[in-house]
Amino acid sequence: MRRALRLRAERRQMMTAEAEVLVELRRLRARLPQLTGALTASADGLVLAQDAVDGEAESVAALTAAALGVGQRLADTTGQGGFRELLVRGEHGYVATYAAGGSAVLTLLAEPRINVGRLHLEARRSSARIGELVDGALERRDPN
Amino acid sequence: MANTETALKEAAQIEGAIGAALVDYTSGMALGTIGGGKELDLNVAAAGNTDVVRAKVRTMEMLGLNDEIEDILITLGGQYHLLRLLKARGSAGLFLYVALDKNRANLAMARHQLKKIEADLEI
Repeated sequence: MRRALRLRAERRQMMTAEAEVLVELRRLRARLPQLTGALTASADGLVLAQDAVDGEAESVAALTAAALGVGQRLADTTGQGGFRELLVRGEHGYVATYAAGGSAVLTLLAEPRINVGRLHLEARRSSARIGELVDGALERRDPN
Repeated sequence: MANTETALKEAAQIEGAIGAALVDYTSGMALGTIGGGKELDLNVAAAGNTDVVRAKVRTMEMLGLNDEIEDILITLGGQYHLLRLLKARGSAGLFLYVALDKNRANLAMARHQLKKIEADLEI
């Protein structure tokens, strides 16, 4: 119960960065027109901000958290250090997840024709920025 | 026959070469890079020039030109950037990218050498 309360408080604090994170997601989509959706989620799978992933954002965030858990364990077990990113290529496009600071991730959906090199360059920059925003929001003391 | 590494080494030996990369323009990722360093991030160049190649390929399709691109030359104030699209079987969708120092490079020679590197390359 105490844990649940703490998580809720944490999420509330993270949500204070929502507007700025959303601006960053829109900027990213403007730079990469072949993105079909973008969302930022907390590492435990709750949506913090999303752009054009309507309807399925919650489940994408939850699945991202599950994939993140496996990715982290896989990187750790094989001695590759902390989790950085995960790229899934399906028949009809890509799903990419990037670590954004210590407690959030950036998940992007893209068309199959996207320039993956550019996707990585832009998304790494954006995830670092989003990480700063979310970590910054967590550090700010809750006024209540 | 040369592999990717040898081909890149040869490209780096072209007079005036600053950096070179073998790039897959279906993904925008570099298969290999040589040189570059701090002044020229070759992974950024690979992704950026992929857009250049794709734009030109699409433009030719729209113009109805039933032809293919041999190479693309971009002339900067102080550099030449050469993109050579590979034609051999098994290397379709790839291009060789070389950045040259304008003051030291001989453009005709560089294009000639790049053509030779392409002919020898096996992926």
